[in-house]
Amino acid sequence: MKILVTAKRIPDPGQKIKLKGNALDLSAANWQLNQFDEYAVEAALRLTEDGAAPATRQGAVTVASLGPADVQQQLRSALAMGADKAIRVEAKDEELDAVIVAKTLEKLVRRDQPDLVLMGKLAADNEGNDVGQRLAALLGWPQATFACSIQVVDGGKALLVGREVDNGVEIKKVRLPAVVTVDLRIIAPQAVKNGRTAANFAYPEGPRYASLKGIRAAKDKPIEALTLSGLGVSTALQVKTHGSELPPARQAGKKIASVHELVEKLRSEAKVL
Amino acid sequence: MVNPLISDRDVDFLLYEVFDAPALCSLPAFADHGRPTFDLVLQNSRRFAREVLFPTYKAMDAEPPRLENGRIVLHPLWHKIYPQLVALDVIAASRPYAAGGQQLPLLVTTLASTYLMAGNLNAAGLVGLTAGAAHLIEEFGSDALKQDFMARMYRGEWTGTMALTEPQAGSSLADLKTRATPTGEGHYRIKGSKIFISAGDHNLTDNIVHMTLARIDGAPAGIKGISLFAVPTRRWQGSTLVDNDVAVAGMIHKIGWRGGPSLALEFGERDDCHGWLVGEPGRGLSCMFQMMNEARIMVGANGVSTASVAYHQAVLYARERLQGRPPSVKADASRPPVPIIEHADVRRMLLRQKAIVDGGLALLAVTALQRDLAGHSTTQHERHRAGLLLDLLTPITKTFPAERGFEANALSLQVHGGYGYSSEFLPEAWLRDQKLNSIHEGTTGIQGLDLLGRKAVADGGAALSILTEEIEQAVQKASAAGVFPAACTRLREAMARIAELTMQLAQKGLAGDVEGMLLHSADYLELLSIVVVSWLWLQQATVATQQLGQDQGDADSYQGKLCAAQYWLATELPRVSHLIDLCRSGEDSYARMQPAWF
Ligand SMILES: Cc1cc2nc3c(=O)[nH]c(=O)nc-3n(C[C@H](O)[C@H](O)[C@H](O)COP(=O)(O)OP(=O)(O)OC[C@H]3O[C@@H](n4cnc5c(N)ncnc54)[C@H](O)[C@@H]3O)c2cc1C
Repeated sequence: MKILVTAKRIPDPGQKIKLKGNALDLSAANWQLNQFDEYAVEAALRLTEDGAAPATRQGAVTVASLGPADVQQQLRSALAMGADKAIRVEAKDEELDAVIVAKTLEKLVRRDQPDLVLMGKLAADNEGNDVGQRLAALLGWPQATFACSIQVVDGGKALLVGREVDNGVEIKKVRLPAVVTVDLRIIAPQAVKNGRTAANFAYPEGPRYASLKGIRAAKDKPIEALTLSGLGVSTALQVKTHGSELPPARQAGKKIASVHELVEKLRSEAKVL
Repeated sequence: MVNPLISDRDVDFLLYEVFDAPALCSLPAFADHGRPTFDLVLQNSRRFAREVLFPTYKAMDAEPPRLENGRIVLHPLWHKIYPQLVALDVIAASRPYAAGGQQLPLLVTTLASTYLMAGNLNAAGLVGLTAGAAHLIEEFGSDALKQDFMARMYRGEWTGTMALTEPQAGSSLADLKTRATPTGEGHYRIKGSKIFISAGDHNLTDNIVHMTLARIDGAPAGIKGISLFAVPTRRWQGSTLVDNDVAVAGMIHKIGWRGGPSLALEFGERDDCHGWLVGEPGRGLSCMFQMMNEARIMVGANGVSTASVAYHQAVLYARERLQGRPPSVKADASRPPVPIIEHADVRRMLLRQKAIVDGGLALLAVTALQRDLAGHSTTQHERHRAGLLLDLLTPITKTFPAERGFEANALSLQVHGGYGYSSEFLPEAWLRDQKLNSIHEGTTGIQGLDLLGRKAVADGGAALSILTEEIEQAVQKASAAGVFPAACTRLREAMARIAELTMQLAQKGLAGDVEGMLLHSADYLELLSIVVVSWLWLQQATVATQQLGQDQGDADSYQGKLCAAQYWLATELPRVSHLIDLCRSGEDSYARMQPAWF
């Protein structure tokens, strides 16, 4: 199976947010791979290997990202996990919106014709949650979002995808080629079944850690460099950021002596009654 | 906020701003690598330590291994983390490609390993022991042993131990009694009792290789009669592994490092324990010194890691714990209480920990760098110079993080107040863990004797001269940047006085008064440690000042460095002069004190 995985770099969500004027100051940010994209890489690797050690692979995993040259480090990190090659489309973070990203990915898909596009359900920086859906629409491909399990069926022609929905898990069958966006539970030990890996095989929970051998091998794997104009994608932004501000600091709490006082305060101070 | 274990910012600062790790890639041995690779290596260690190892620490501390039917059963979590640890390839990270390693600089792998140690020291310790044991075979073993033992150990299929200590031979290995009888069939029959052998038995892998010191029958008494053997728990019989007569005689009930077993082992109870000679007969201890020196640096790394994880915990706690009000508004109870980090004395305790932890991390980095240079520099002169400096630094890198780390760990507990004294909070566990570091791999007392009796005086004090040169360079850079001028002067003067003191003590020794020469070896170790760490703080402060001047990077972290440097140089460096006086004076209270007077 030929799989295209999309990857975005985001600032470490654990870091303190800094503002310069009314814009985010990312000069000292620690960039990392969006966690859901990392799960997509893991899922793609599980779809193409057999779980044995040493693992044999069937298929190929390409990881694509739009971003500045630094993004190579996150792409290398995916290559070190085991992806076969990477594509970087040159772009500045602030010159991208979901439409541009989806249209760029559409071009890559039309060019490379993968059987499956695996994506994180959202990027944990802006929590957009729309690139996967847009891409499926542009391609006219079936889509399954928020995947928590994937099973290859019909001799590799379709996937049974478990989707996290509000009231449980919905199982959906999608023909390939398709776009699948993954949720947190896709990295559970037995969430991905490709029909080749032994049925009782269990991966360690979570995206894998690259081995040092993998890290060294990543150095020699190809990262193809492309540009938006080369791909013929219009760079006109449809979403503009007008400003960023921190949420207001929380007020200190108060201890209240009686229910009576509580009702009084809800009425007079909080004005919710 | 979660505990970062080790600060990424501090590690990056050391690797890329102070010691220029990528510059090592100009050496042929490291030509394959570059910063992108280093960053991935670090990223892996960081995440694995935080996500996998650290969450297992408390459970493993609470439930030590059990001895059942003569074998050790480990906490079930070991079976989850060990295979993952092996899959990272960390065991042979710094060994050459030819030996199955990744040929990474020790500067990088050592700092990367601190995350693992801070996350779960028992797990990291097993990797370190296995790597050190396999390295002995790589360096001194026959090809057959390399194939049979070393390769499997580097792959993590088998683990390794160092089996030196015996009940009557702890600090004094010259007194060890384990015997090796030649069989004429290529191996020896081993018989003897060892004690405190870490990872001496477990149920993680099929086999364990004990690097064992023993005397070949007829060998002379003392050091020259000691040889090194590889003694597996199971040996090959055809293609199956059979019992090799290494029995667990008992398990030590430890106050720290409780997740892993330290054992009394009985070799050859049934006269059926086969061992294979590694290196030449009679050279056992000098071979073993390779592993011991590596292990001593590993102990230092552990000391820093154990102090670091506790320090970060204390900072997190101090930011959240509300108690009291600033002195200026103390009487006003209507004012809300403040987080305790607002109190100057709490910040004193935190800054002291930071000075020790960051100072220790820099010490570790500079020592690892000397190992890389001693092994891989392109000129003989550079290799020799780095080797001498490494020898001098090793007892300091072993001891400073252990002794000062213990102090830092106690301060972390103190910051937690009464909660710190409860086992529901982690600082007490780290304090227990830390104590081992001043004991194993040569006690602090033994390190002091090694530093003053050997390292400082070897080659007419050549290593001290190199250290003096290095310090002089750092002082010049600091002076040029206008950084801490008073400390610069002090450091220069201290080095001059240390050279003089060392000469005086060496002469005492040469004149036959070895006892008098070594009387204050503990003070000597302490004063040289303070000087070395001051040197490293001066370097860090210089870089931080330059970066701040150019408005580079994370200003908060540089300001923090400058405060910690100032604290260390103001509170510790002045003590050196007093300690030198003490050593010079030959103050003789404990020399005169008779056993009966206690
Ligand atoms: C948890 C743990 C794990 C260990 N793991 C291993 C292991 O894997 N392999 C292994 O071989 N050993 C191991 N050891 C043993 C350890 O290296 C020894 O405990 C250590 O070397 C000290 O020896 P000892 O315990 O016999 O103390 P002693 O040698 O009896 O020392 C007692 C005290 O006397 C002092 N002293 C002794 N001799 C001198 C002297 N000449 N001059 C001045 N002071 C002196 C010491 O500094 C110390 O304070 C381990 C120990 C522990 C506690």
